[in-house]
Amino acid sequence: MKSSVYILLGLLLIGFESCRKDYEAPVPYTFTNTPGSGRFVASVRQTMEGVYGVTDGVGQFGDQVALKWTYVLNGADTTHYLSIFTGVDVGYFNLEGDPKADNLVLNGYWRKLVNTSTGLVRLTVRTKHNGVLEPYTGRLATGDTLVVDGLYGENSGTPTQKLTLTYRRPLNQRPFSILAHRSGGRTSDLLPASENSLEIIKLASRLGATGIEIDVRYTKDGVPILYHDNTLNLRLIQKSGLTGPIEAYTYQQLNTLVRLVNGEKIPTLEEALETVINNTSLNFVWLDTKYIGPMDKVQAIQQKYRQKAILSRRDLRIIIGLPSTDAVASYQALADKENTPILCELDTATTLGLGARIWAPRWTLGPQTQEVLAMKAAGLTVFVWTLDEPKFIQEFVSQNNFDGILSNYSPIVAYYHYVEQ
Amino acid sequence: MWVVCLLFVSTSADAQRERQRPDLRERRVFPPGHPRYVPPDTQQPEIYFPQAPVPGKWRRSIGAVFTTTPPELTEEVRVSVPAIDFNIQRGLTKHLYFAGRIQTQVVQSNLGIGLRWATQVSKRTFIGAGYDLNGWFGALQIKDVFNSQAYGVQTFPSLSVGYRLTRDVQLSVRTEAILDLYYRSQVGNLAVVYDQRRINGVAFTVVLEQPFYDNKHVSLGLRAAYSNFNWQLWSLYDTFDRNLFYPQLIFGFIL
Repeated sequence: MKSSVYILLGLLLIGFESCRKDYEAPVPYTFTNTPGSGRFVASVRQTMEGVYGVTDGVGQFGDQVALKWTYVLNGADTTHYLSIFTGVDVGYFNLEGDPKADNLVLNGYWRKLVNTSTGLVRLTVRTKHNGVLEPYTGRLATGDTLVVDGLYGENSGTPTQKLTLTYRRPLNQRPFSILAHRSGGRTSDLLPASENSLEIIKLASRLGATGIEIDVRYTKDGVPILYHDNTLNLRLIQKSGLTGPIEAYTYQQLNTLVRLVNGEKIPTLEEALETVINNTSLNFVWLDTKYIGPMDKVQAIQQKYRQKAILSRRDLRIIIGLPSTDAVASYQALADKENTPILCELDTATTLGLGARIWAPRWTLGPQTQEVLAMKAAGLTVFVWTLDEPKFIQEFVSQNNFDGILSNYSPIVAYYHYVEQ
Repeated sequence: MWVVCLLFVSTSADAQRERQRPDLRERRVFPPGHPRYVPPDTQQPEIYFPQAPVPGKWRRSIGAVFTTTPPELTEEVRVSVPAIDFNIQRGLTKHLYFAGRIQTQVVQSNLGIGLRWATQVSKRTFIGAGYDLNGWFGALQIKDVFNSQAYGVQTFPSLSVGYRLTRDVQLSVRTEAILDLYYRSQVGNLAVVYDQRRINGVAFTVVLEQPFYDNKHVSLGLRAAYSNFNWQLWSLYDTFDRNLFYPQLIFGFIL
């Protein structure tokens, strides 16, 4: 009898383990990615940006949202996208103009990052003139109000539920860095691109980011690449047969045999910075030092792409992050520290002693108001990381002491920043 | 849930078999004076088995609960977090009893109190219902890393089924709902509060209680919690609004 009970308990253990649920949140909309902006010319885009009140759709998206245009560069082409950031469940919309429509029509999808909720959206931009909704031509008369309305749905179902957004005020213009963790967002948040991939870098602005943090490691043959974890594992990559530390493999092996969860290759640091400069409007890159050892190769790449950014007339800061005493030692061992801006995550004394331009304490230490104000008075920029808890994000933004927040949830940081008055 | 259904099916089938054939185990009762003699009305040592202690009597256990962290939160790191687990129960009436529980990892602890009602429904089968109220508290002070604390209140209505496999081996299955009542988190001097009542998840527990050594008894079990929040991992600040799987291994010496 006893042995059968133990077998039963063992089977239950296996049964429990196999009951782990796999969550998915596939994007229900296929973007046409048509270059240009169609009917959404610059004046239209400019006037559309702002904080809007929500009437229909409050239950799903909250009572106000922030509308912000972003773009992706591809050679001489620029493709524009509209993002809408909501205050509920880290919600956001990604929309593109409908080039076939006669009016200002937007198609796309919405998603809530904390869960798997998603759906299709179709919206029209109109103006309310003397109480009557009319097509928007890009000109607003005194007393006119922009209204963005239409339908949204659930998953890939046809949109049937009403959504009405009415313009309230401009976006908060205070300079503030919205930094996206892991090049744009975590794989575990079921984004359409894998963390630390070129694809998520291109997506980062549409998720609200103005800058990104990327994780740098070396391959066996010394190529700086983007990868977060210590080991190759199924959390980040597809089944490949390769396991163990990523530093045990050459770049050629990784490039040939390994694909990230959504099918992308593991990018080199150079490819990532090339993408930031050539394809995005991001203005800040934080190179997180995940390796232990010499920093000279990363320094050389940082300086090379800083020059490229200047030649491309891009306002882009590329900073080497020092999260540990090992990283500080690697930095101090550099023969020449000129033109090598650093960000220090350690205490204020170490940060000042290193001559770092940025101090970045953990958010779990609290607001540290005195220390933050003292560092800012000393001319430093102060970021806090990695803050994902929406209520704390709201508090940190409203306290107005930090210059930026690093988060896996850039849409909610963007929301609280842009709606702040 | 399927575990509970299986047990119900097996207990009804068992009752039918009991009517049809003599129980061989009954004949193996040791005679008075034998070291393993058990008087007929004696209760076996138990903590999870749904049977009230004799009114006015205490029963206790001490052990450990090992919780495996979900990969969504700890990513490539999978650790089994141990917590000291102390249970105390006292019979109030023939069917009603008080249950208290302390789980602690020093920097974070959980104190639970509850009422349980249990009754015997057949020769081998017992059922019970319970309502527990738990308060948890955690504080972390680590230079350059944490200046954080949090506490919260949860409640656990539960249903249990117990099946006496032999005279001294008992199997219990418990289903719990996990409800959040209050959560407060503070970093530095900044605090946020969530005080909306919400369903956090469910948990299923299977526990075997049996002799261990020298007339001692142990509880050995598995608990599978599917929940949105687990107090032991409060410092990871889980923001996923989806139930994650927290498998737990339970081991306790019944004192």
